Amino acid sequence: MKRHKVALNAAAALFCVLWAFPVYWMVNTAFKPYGRILSPTPAFLPIPLSLGNFADAIHKPLFGTYLRNSLIVTASVVLLSLAVAFFAATALTRFRFLGRRGFLIGVLTVQMVPQPALLIPLFLTLRSAHLLNTLIGLTLTYVAFVLPFTIWTLRGFLHGVPVEIEEAAMVDGAGRMTVIRLILLPLVAPGVIATSVFAFITAWNDYVYAYVMMKDQDKYTLPVWLVSFSTSTGTDYGGLIAASSLFALPVIVFFMIIQGRLVEGMTSGAVKE
Amino acid sequence: MPRSERGVSGEGAAGVLDPASPAQDRGPAGQGPAGPEGKRAGRRAARRRRGGRGRDRALPYVLLAPAALILALVLGYPLVRLVLISMQDYGLRALFTGTTRWNGAANYRAVLADGQFGAVLLRTLVFCAALAAGTLVIGLLVAQLMGRLGRRMRTAVTLCLICAWAMPNVAATLVWQWLFQPTYGVVNWLITSTRLAGDYAQHDWLAGPHSAFFVLWLLVVWQSVPFVALTLHAGLSQIPRSYYEAAALAGAGPWTGFRLVTVPLLRPILLLVTILSVIWDFNVFNQIWILTQGGPNGATSTLGIWSFARAFSSQSFGQGAAIAVVSVALLLVLTASYVRRLVRTGEQL
Repeated sequence: MKRHKVALNAAAALFCVLWAFPVYWMVNTAFKPYGRILSPTPAFLPIPLSLGNFADAIHKPLFGTYLRNSLIVTASVVLLSLAVAFFAATALTRFRFLGRRGFLIGVLTVQMVPQPALLIPLFLTLRSAHLLNTLIGLTLTYVAFVLPFTIWTLRGFLHGVPVEIEEAAMVDGAGRMTVIRLILLPLVAPGVIATSVFAFITAWNDYVYAYVMMKDQDKYTLPVWLVSFSTSTGTDYGGLIAASSLFALPVIVFFMIIQGRLVEGMTSGAVKE
Repeated sequence: MPRSERGVSGEGAAGVLDPASPAQDRGPAGQGPAGPEGKRAGRRAARRRRGGRGRDRALPYVLLAPAALILALVLGYPLVRLVLISMQDYGLRALFTGTTRWNGAANYRAVLADGQFGAVLLRTLVFCAALAAGTLVIGLLVAQLMGRLGRRMRTAVTLCLICAWAMPNVAATLVWQWLFQPTYGVVNWLITSTRLAGDYAQHDWLAGPHSAFFVLWLLVVWQSVPFVALTLHAGLSQIPRSYYEAAALAGAGPWTGFRLVTVPLLRPILLLVTILSVIWDFNVFNQIWILTQGGPNGATSTLGIWSFARAFSSQSFGQGAAIAVVSVALLLVLTASYVRRLVRTGEQL
């Protein structure tokens, strides 16, 4: 029995080492002084610790612009998709109307279409709408990608709010919009925040759409810049890896904070289906 | 009729203040239902109610409109257009003149007749299967392991999983490039210095088709295991321990317990995770494009990469679209059972 426990813990430890290694190596490389990165025997600890690579990455030309583009697009996608999806989910859960089922089936179907397949027609469509190479075009694309999932998840959260509370408020004379704004919205706020993760990650992480749509360098988002960085300056691994760490950090922190809710949401959705 | 107008725009303070008004309306009507004053008030109230109902009938459409508009314009229309483009001669000329020529099934014929087609198709399917299988097996093992660990060790495993899960795939891909860098990469150094498989100094993983695929496989599996493991772990922890105890009392070994208790109870989640893995793995794009661009010599080019290259490198959007249509159809076939279930869910709504 004792030996069994030891074997289990050893297996878990081995798994942790294997799975954490790439992230550890990223951080380790990022903090190494410039000269020690390209050495034939790699050092496993960043001694002496150096922030040089980060400074190097941040001071690359236009870094501020890329960061700003990424932040603008991500924030717009999160806010816009949540607002639009919240209204849609309210309509779908609180009203019975003609076309409701049709809309839901449409949402489910559209969710099945793989995103890379839409690259060609979206590129051509945005091109004829003169929205290529604009942050607006990119924002709209991401909003459309996250909407089906966001509507679907918010719909689940709204189902969890008992209609009786709203009915009571309406008996007291509150109008529909008042009820939605003052009662429904605060009650589903935790769900709204949990759902926002998906929009955040889609907009922050996407590479291929931004790569295809943004032609001018000053329109690049961070991922596009990171990749161009790696091909144009093949040897500056220190700066590249430090920039990747900076880029990955907000997402990792975000995941750590909401991790419990994340898995909970996934499985509850899975069981409900 | 200021009051009914307020009803129409009925928002905020106006809506909240409203309750007083029906009482005023009904008041006189109650006192003298037959009087002309009362009749007028009653009519007014009725109109107000009707107005309110009319507004309620329009409200869901108003709420739904922005979502419907965005979905229709940015997903629906391009989806239709994808199919149309796949039947057009859409190249550089069409791009600049804006005039397109229909060419029926010529794009499909060209794609199917292309010597690469069979190889790309097979490669896509094998790669997808290898990724999904690897992810599910490792994910299930880790989930089983997590249930048997102490609290502290389990937290450590969870944190490692979340780190891998949270890594944006562009960052992960660049880190992979660095790990497997031929001269200074830590992987070659580890293999060489531990004498595991001989001298790997200067070994270029991305130069050979099989080793390039292996590196990609490691990367995608590394990133996909966390979702599967955490989801399955959550599912497993919902199975009551007493079921296993009962199975053990009946003389079942751990394997039989797994087969007769875990698998049937976990089936819905297992199915969901499998289908999602197939969908995601079929659509892997960034990792391949950034690491190998489909190379060496097209050896890691999947349907997605091929379609992309046809459209954006060879400027043949028609053929690229045809490949995309083929891959969507293929994915639908692969996930037919899931699609059927979705449709059934849709019918129950």
